[in-house]
Amino acid sequence: MNNLLEQFLSEARDFLQGIGEKLMQLENDPDSTELMVELFRFVHTLKGNSGLFDFPEMTRVLHASEDLMDAVRNGRVNYSQTLADQLLEAMDFVGSLMDEIEVTGKIGSNHLVISTELTKALRALLDTPDAVNVPVAIEVYTEDALTVKGISWSELPIMDLPETIAMGLHRCSIDGETVLWLQYTPEPECFFKGEDPFFLARQIPDVAWRHVILNNSASTLAEMDVFSSQLVFQLLTIAPETELDDLLRYVPDQIHRVKIPALAFVKPSGSSTDQAIDDDVIDSVLALFDNDEIDALIHTINTMLELSSPELWSSSALRWVLHLIDAEPDNKPAQRILLEAFRTQTAPDWSVLTPPIVPQHKTVSAPIHVNTSEIPDTLLRDFNVVINTQKEILSLPATSSGAWSAGRLKAVGATLIGCYRAVQRPHEIEGIEAALNIALTQNSPVPLLGWLETSLANTQELIFKGEPEPVVASLAAQPEVKFGRRTDDARGENAVAASKTLKVDQDKIDRLMNLIGEMVVAKNALPYLANRAETVFGVRELSREIKAQYAVINRVAEEMQDTIMQVRMMPVSFIFQRFPRMVRDISRKLGKEVELVLEGDATEADKNIIEALSDPLIHIVRNSLDHGLEMPEARLAAGKSVTGKLHIRASQESDRVLIEIIDDGKGINPEVIKHKAYEKGLIDEATLERISDQDAVNLVFAAGFSTADVISDLSGRGVGMDVVRSAVEKVNGTVGIESVAGKGTRLFMSLPLSMAVTNVMIIESNKQIFGVPMDLVVETVRVPRVQIRTIKQKQTTVLRGRIVPLLSLNDLLARNEAQLPNEDDEFATLIVRVHGEHVGILVDDFRETVDIILKPMTGILGGLPGYSGAALLGDGSVLMVLNPRELI
Amino acid sequence: MAIEYKKSLAVFSDFVGVEDAEALLEWLGKNPKGKVNFEECTHIHASSLQVLMAVKPPVVAWPKDENLQLWLKVALE
Amino acid sequence: MKHILVIDDAATVRLYHRNILEKAGYSVDEAINGIEALEKSLVKSYDLYIVDVNMPKLDGYGFLKEFRRQEDVVQSPAIMVTTESGNHDKILGYAAGANLYMTKPTKPNELLSYVRLLLGEVAE
Repeated sequence: MNNLLEQFLSEARDFLQGIGEKLMQLENDPDSTELMVELFRFVHTLKGNSGLFDFPEMTRVLHASEDLMDAVRNGRVNYSQTLADQLLEAMDFVGSLMDEIEVTGKIGSNHLVISTELTKALRALLDTPDAVNVPVAIEVYTEDALTVKGISWSELPIMDLPETIAMGLHRCSIDGETVLWLQYTPEPECFFKGEDPFFLARQIPDVAWRHVILNNSASTLAEMDVFSSQLVFQLLTIAPETELDDLLRYVPDQIHRVKIPALAFVKPSGSSTDQAIDDDVIDSVLALFDNDEIDALIHTINTMLELSSPELWSSSALRWVLHLIDAEPDNKPAQRILLEAFRTQTAPDWSVLTPPIVPQHKTVSAPIHVNTSEIPDTLLRDFNVVINTQKEILSLPATSSGAWSAGRLKAVGATLIGCYRAVQRPHEIEGIEAALNIALTQNSPVPLLGWLETSLANTQELIFKGEPEPVVASLAAQPEVKFGRRTDDARGENAVAASKTLKVDQDKIDRLMNLIGEMVVAKNALPYLANRAETVFGVRELSREIKAQYAVINRVAEEMQDTIMQVRMMPVSFIFQRFPRMVRDISRKLGKEVELVLEGDATEADKNIIEALSDPLIHIVRNSLDHGLEMPEARLAAGKSVTGKLHIRASQESDRVLIEIIDDGKGINPEVIKHKAYEKGLIDEATLERISDQDAVNLVFAAGFSTADVISDLSGRGVGMDVVRSAVEKVNGTVGIESVAGKGTRLFMSLPLSMAVTNVMIIESNKQIFGVPMDLVVETVRVPRVQIRTIKQKQTTVLRGRIVPLLSLNDLLARNEAQLPNEDDEFATLIVRVHGEHVGILVDDFRETVDIILKPMTGILGGLPGYSGAALLGDGSVLMVLNPRELI
Repeated sequence: MAIEYKKSLAVFSDFVGVEDAEALLEWLGKNPKGKVNFEECTHIHASSLQVLMAVKPPVVAWPKDENLQLWLKVALE
Repeated sequence: MKHILVIDDAATVRLYHRNILEKAGYSVDEAINGIEALEKSLVKSYDLYIVDVNMPKLDGYGFLKEFRRQEDVVQSPAIMVTTESGNHDKILGYAAGANLYMTKPTKPNELLSYVRLLLGEVAE
């Protein structure tokens, strides 16, 4: 994955989260313009970012979301629950696409349908004129309509559009939609490339008018070449250009398209009449218009329309006047021109109001422009764009806000100087500088503008006369940087990036994992072998060589293991991502207001761990929402903010993942827990008296604690918490809870990063060896017999100022043997952490630590308590691994 | 076969592909009065479309598919 | 070496432009909004500004308007980059002090061609 894509994904996730949060906040504060603007900005930026890549499905949905939010922001559409739901759904979709991109580097082809549906649903919320509602015109044109050179819209065949459609399109155009005239001329040999131009043409959305032309050159039917495309498709569409770009990205050179300005549709049509219109009538109409008596004007026109045949050209013109007044009430010049046209009974001439259209694509081969200067065509084209823009800037009227500051003039000057230098006309620079100085002293753009116009008139060779290059539709089809040798570099990089990701079946990874695990264990046989070489066969030299080889194999095996672990790593966002939605849905159902904060969702852990984490976490979050956080009124009464806060945080602590779920709800009342536990018989009366509050809270994890009635009157959790605990412990995790009544609860889970290979310490007891998982071992100490005290018939010792209960392993395993001390009368003691407490386990001796693959015991042995599994050792013997949690 | 040829009627159904164009041209050549029925048709490959446009045979039924119907009417009426 | 300031609140877009421009041999600084852009541009003089429109705190128009008001700084050309392609937006930008408009996503070769023109560099 290249750095840009990585950056995009990480930033996009932030945006998605931000969007989710803003939407939630908006629900509480639907009138906040500030939130609305921010939400728009998030969606807008996200869309912009996605546009850098070839992810049309994503961009399309984001584009629709952006348009919707823009409408909301501007008050054109009201914010509503449905709207929020729709947006959330769209963002979920985008999120899922990003997951896919993250894994595969691209988006599969199967999302088009959902993407289209979502886009439609979003657009439906927008109150835009729907192209579907515009009746579709069926028009037949003579073939000379084809001779479109893309010079002016007046030459396009749309001039014969039925009035209703023309009016509809005009309004679309006024409302900011881009109306495009599109001509698609498939190349003759396209059928042989497996293309179906008709199919492609049918995919073009939002078509208001369409036409197909056959350019059949064969004189008889039999001579017709059916396998050579002779079709030309023409249509008018209001689909977004980006969408069209995307759709037509494989045939950009066969597409000719022209943006149609709104006024191009204003074209009265109908039969002419010999009967001249009374001058007096026209004068009175114009007088009404000039005096701005619009109501009277409308009334007069309506009367005139009632009196004349609707088929007449003049009637059509009048209808257009009414339409213009309605659609473009402020465009007085256009209305005036139309009224003038009505007087003269000739087509209105809009050229005074609209600039000629620049065609965006070429299809028809234009006369090849012979460039006399040595400036490349593309440079000349860009030069002209920039120069004309400066001309446009200099021609802008000075408004109160945009008054001509010296800075603007200087910037235009600098731009002009740059341009003329770039096209190697340095002698012009003096002139520019002189003009700029005059302009600055006069604080007026006129001198610069004057210079520019004179200069352009004198340097005809700098005027770009050729057709612009076809604009390649999508970035993907675009060669990267085009200058010098760099092109190849850029491409090479892309190619590598594209092929870097490999999709592999999970089974294969698992198998690889198992094999590497076995390898890790198998290599452990080498030290035994070395030992035997020396002690049994007496070849010390060989023993040393085996040990050296072992070191190498060990290193490689460890690296292999690390690498495969990395492959299996997954971010916790995999689980986290469902929380915003889940929390929102549940809290709404419960009538609670909850703000969810997710942190550290990039924290990674092994896939199995992540999957094992999923259910317990959901359970805990549900509990928090159900029983932890209070109803808004209760919160207010308790002096808290109405909105409860639920914080889910993931972080990595050395080789473990820590997940915390913190809420600021009503917390757990230890007294209630104590009494419930006593009633359930989980604790005796003595315990009830002296149990600490923390211990009491921990009772929620006790098996059998939770029952239905507990849920209803208890101040909080306890619902299936024992299930959570066992699920977490199954993957060698631990779970804990802290709570302050009235303030809130913090639940935390600590899980290993990976669970495939377990590091165990081998200990000896009663002439047998056992394994103890290292993650439970806090330390190993040797406790002298004299330091063992018996308190209340229990053995204890003081370790670092702390009383640690001591248990003998032989006792725990019900063997009637005393542990063996060493020569100094010290007992080997494993200090393990069990349920948050330190406990010492007396054994006979410690041995080395090894990596093993822990296989859970099955069958009859599976029911054996106290063991978490067994493993094969390097010498082929079986190691039983203890589970201290169950033992104690 | 996406086109079924009856006496003087060609019935189009489902997706008419590029391979149907030649036979269609031949049939329309032999049956100058042949009519066409598009009712069950969902798409016609551009190659067959241009054959139809060259002949413009009478249409007995337009396709149910709305989008296809709009295009065919423009092309053939 | 020519210095270009890329002003955009989206890190992805900044990186995108940085990649293109640095590959072509320019030195690139970034600013995440108009305020930061102003701070940077008043301390160091850039040869070109690439300005996003929609940004928090101070948007592209605001930045340009304020920057063009500054005396005693080199008034280098500015390219405004936006996803909004409406005519009205363009005029706002030109009135604020932009010298060219480009639509997002900018195409690398198009961007570089304009950058070279505005910087007065003769193409090889």
